Amino acid sequence: MEDIQAYIESGILELYAAGDLSPAEKRDVEAMISRHPELKAELAEIEQGLEEYAAAYAIAPSVNLRRQVIDSLLSAEENPEEPEALNDSVAEIRSAPSYKYAFAACLTLLLVSLGALFVLYSRLQQSNQQIAVLQAGNQQFSNRVNNMDQQLKQHQHALSVLRNPQVKLIKLSGTKQSPESSMMLAFNPASKEVMIDMSAMKVPANDAGHQYQLWAMVKGKPVDLGVFDMKADDQGMKKMKAIAEAEAFAVTLEPRGGSLNPSMEHMMLLGVI
Amino acid sequence: MSKRKTALSEDDLIRALRNKEKIGAEALYDMYSSSLYGIIYRIVQHDEIAEDLLQETFVKIWNSFALFDPAKGRLFTWMANVARNLSIDKLRSKDFRNNAKNQDIENTVNFIDETNSTALNPDTLGVKELMQRLKPEQKSILDLVYFRGYTHAEVAEELGIPLGTVKTRLRMAIITLRKFFS
Repeated sequence: MEDIQAYIESGILELYAAGDLSPAEKRDVEAMISRHPELKAELAEIEQGLEEYAAAYAIAPSVNLRRQVIDSLLSAEENPEEPEALNDSVAEIRSAPSYKYAFAACLTLLLVSLGALFVLYSRLQQSNQQIAVLQAGNQQFSNRVNNMDQQLKQHQHALSVLRNPQVKLIKLSGTKQSPESSMMLAFNPASKEVMIDMSAMKVPANDAGHQYQLWAMVKGKPVDLGVFDMKADDQGMKKMKAIAEAEAFAVTLEPRGGSLNPSMEHMMLLGVI
Repeated sequence: MSKRKTALSEDDLIRALRNKEKIGAEALYDMYSSSLYGIIYRIVQHDEIAEDLLQETFVKIWNSFALFDPAKGRLFTWMANVARNLSIDKLRSKDFRNNAKNQDIENTVNFIDETNSTALNPDTLGVKELMQRLKPEQKSILDLVYFRGYTHAEVAEELGIPLGTVKTRLRMAIITLRKFFS
């Protein structure tokens, strides 16, 4: 048959015998030779040629190997093993060691982890900053509250004093030395309390070397009631020394610490009951 | 000790191996160990490894003999494939690759000549004549494919020749062999 001859001359049988075909090509050849005994015979001759060639280039292994190999074959009969599926294709070769892929996976994981770490770190920084801002705000807030608390107490106190029916409110007016000045004084003869209203005080600020001194005029004689500084931010009432009765109250500017007797030429305020 | 070598016909050998008979094991070794060792050694180029592989090859042939199908070809073709595959796997697992494949074709030829002097099979004559009949370019391709297990694509790349030329020369080489040995 023409087909057979052409097939033989294609050289595919030689390639098959030398083991140089893909699995699909091998299956084709096997199909052909099973259908055509002439091809099978041709193949057998080709194979024999190759066998002789291999024999010509044979290398004898060491002599002791014979016993060792034969014994291992026969002892395998006492411990039969599962026949392995034979792979008679040279083209199927094991791939490169898989640790390369494991390494790449680890490296990727590391980089991803580092990236995530960086993101988390910067977020943490942001959060910390926010906390600091909130704390500062909180601090300011509580300061304000404290301040307001204090002011409230002062006002409440002042009010309680002023509402007291036993308290006499006396206005001290400015003298020639300080015509613009004025001051409010609360005098409770029953409790002997004298308080001056710091918030309603209109006197020039005193320097470090001087202080204002309050006097009560009792039976024409001046009695010292204490010293005070003019402070712009003071809201409350300052309690002075006690006196049971007085005809008038006066304020003079004295050296710091006060004087035993008033410097009349430096009288700034005067209020008669 | 006298070396008594056992030999059987192909059919008898196949039957003995199927039945796992002792005579099958002996004949198998005596008839084919040198041929198979020649293939193995030329691939791995290392005594101890080649001997281990030879034993591994025989064990595999013996244990999986049920998979051998005589309809697909002769016994030796199948066994040579086992030997070749095991050797190539070993080669690639130990990263012998560069050393083995970069070996010059001239060196391969010389190498085979040298080993002939110590391991020439006395039953085969006229190897030198064969060398003369076989053209160098045919022989080198035959050795690369049949002994070293290169695919024809790898041969084409290694020798820098077209794929078709590889196939043609391989065929011519085998035809020459057939004529020489018939």
